[in-house]
Amino acid sequence: MKSKLWLALFLILSVGMAHGVLEVTVVKKDENTFPIAISKFKLIGKGAQDKDISKIIHANLTRSGRFNAIIPSTVVDKFNTEFWKKKNREAVVIGSIEQESSKIYRLSFTLFDVYNNAKLLSRSTRIHTRDFRKVAHQISDNIYEALLGENGSFNTLLTYITVKEDSKGKKIYRLNIADADAMNAKSRIKHSSPMLSPVWSPDRNYKDKKIAYVSFENGRSEVFIWHPFANKKVQRLPHFDGIASSPSWHPNGKSLLMTMSFKGNKDIYAYNLESNRFTRWTKHQGIDTEASYSPDGKRIVFTSDRSGQPQIYIRDLATNQVNRVTFSGRYNAKATFSPDGKQLALVHRVDSDYRIALLNLKTSELTVISNGQLDESPHFSPNGDMIIFSSNRKTKGVLSVISVEGNRSYELSSYNAEVREPNWSTHLK
Amino acid sequence: MKLLIILSLMAVLSGCSIMDKFSSGKSTKKVVIEDKGQNEIPAIIGEQSSFEWQESQEKSVASMPKQEKERILSALEASDVSFTLYFDFNADEISKDATQEIIKHVQFMQDNPQIRLHLEGHADARGTREYNLALAENRALRVKEVMSLYHIADRIKVISYGEEKPISKIDNEIGWQKNRRVEFVYK
Repeated sequence: MKSKLWLALFLILSVGMAHGVLEVTVVKKDENTFPIAISKFKLIGKGAQDKDISKIIHANLTRSGRFNAIIPSTVVDKFNTEFWKKKNREAVVIGSIEQESSKIYRLSFTLFDVYNNAKLLSRSTRIHTRDFRKVAHQISDNIYEALLGENGSFNTLLTYITVKEDSKGKKIYRLNIADADAMNAKSRIKHSSPMLSPVWSPDRNYKDKKIAYVSFENGRSEVFIWHPFANKKVQRLPHFDGIASSPSWHPNGKSLLMTMSFKGNKDIYAYNLESNRFTRWTKHQGIDTEASYSPDGKRIVFTSDRSGQPQIYIRDLATNQVNRVTFSGRYNAKATFSPDGKQLALVHRVDSDYRIALLNLKTSELTVISNGQLDESPHFSPNGDMIIFSSNRKTKGVLSVISVEGNRSYELSSYNAEVREPNWSTHLK
Repeated sequence: MKLLIILSLMAVLSGCSIMDKFSSGKSTKKVVIEDKGQNEIPAIIGEQSSFEWQESQEKSVASMPKQEKERILSALEASDVSFTLYFDFNADEISKDATQEIIKHVQFMQDNPQIRLHLEGHADARGTREYNLALAENRALRVKEVMSLYHIADRIKVISYGEEKPISKIDNEIGWQKNRRVEFVYK
């Protein structure tokens, strides 16, 4: 009887977990990947467990397309330069895990430079059992930075929408969150009406993180804010006649840009969450939508059809100067700034296809980086070196991640649902 | 800093819940809209010095007995009037033929003052979702604009679904054409 109950519980859990789970496929990697060995962590004393730390780091580095990572079959507890030179590994990670109390562990790791026979990085930290994944992502970021001189994007989160038809052909929309490696996926908001445009707040504390998104649950588009970690509540923003849509956060997390239509006129407004005040940033009889801030919060980029077709404009908030920035092609939309503010990722029409393109704001050079038919929703990774976007593969939506140079890419797909509308969070603390 | 609107929810809406879940329920909260879009090319509403923001209030009309409503709607369906108008790619222009269809709906609404209408705007999947949401609203608004000439605007509500509710899943012009539409849904 008891075992049956457990089985039932297990089935419920596994069904619950199946939603929003994505599979990662590396499509393209660097020609010259960095050869690294990540040892399984040495377990010291009773009760120590490694919770796949080396596997998570290995998967992270492999997915980035910049590493050729291996996990040696036996635990390496002493670094030997000559041995690793013979194995053609340029860096080696070793580590240990010791249990301090029932839920607290001492985790230490060292990154060795094989050819210089030197320690590049050595850290030791106390962690709670629930934080193993997070620490594995932080270590991945540490290794990435120590070896490549750039930030990683591992200790971050993704949000996306999945759409699945039930047995009666009715569509079920889910708002999902997952770690950047697509693991730890959770799906708590589910509707039979469409949801779109989820976007992470810039908060760095896990508990403070929020997602603004658009839902049709009340029969039309409205903007909501979900607090997935702190209180799990959903709040609805003030809504008026017409559409409310296309939310994006100010870098300070205190206000949101959104599109609203008043008497049919679609313009960009900022809504301050603390003062409840709206600031109207555009006033034009054409469509103005898909606005987002520059990283310093001083400019907004938006889509407008004021020239007759959708093109990208930037408004300087101090001078009120509006400049059109796209001149190539008849359809440019949904632009977002790179973390350094120097580039835009946007949707650009090429013949009859919609592709992801990068626009260099200094040179006005436009570079198409994707090759799908209906690619959309581009966002930069937090370190700025990859672009995530949704793509149609034989009418099934998947998420693609492509490096800015186009030389590395991977895909995130679901075996049973369409995946769309990705957004990548900033770094977590 | 020009304050275009200071709208006291209590005074103007007398209890209508714009802020609903968002407010703590107290009626002293104001929605302030500060206009920084003034040096843009004026929009249609640009000349107005103030305007009220409020929930669209569908005119409360005496509800029609369900059977009666079903009868008149099936009669309309059986006639040659089309309940869906189609549009060109990235366009909201209404063709002459479409205008004739719209007039038939105007006639129906004039004959039946108790009936209300939702105009649902849709787009095909090409291009971005948010732009399509805006474009599809424009399509439905264009239809409402024509109907508004006949003083029935207060019985019409516009809803945009963008590309979220396609009729056809076919990824070519035949499918896309079916999805760029405005639907007449009587309530």
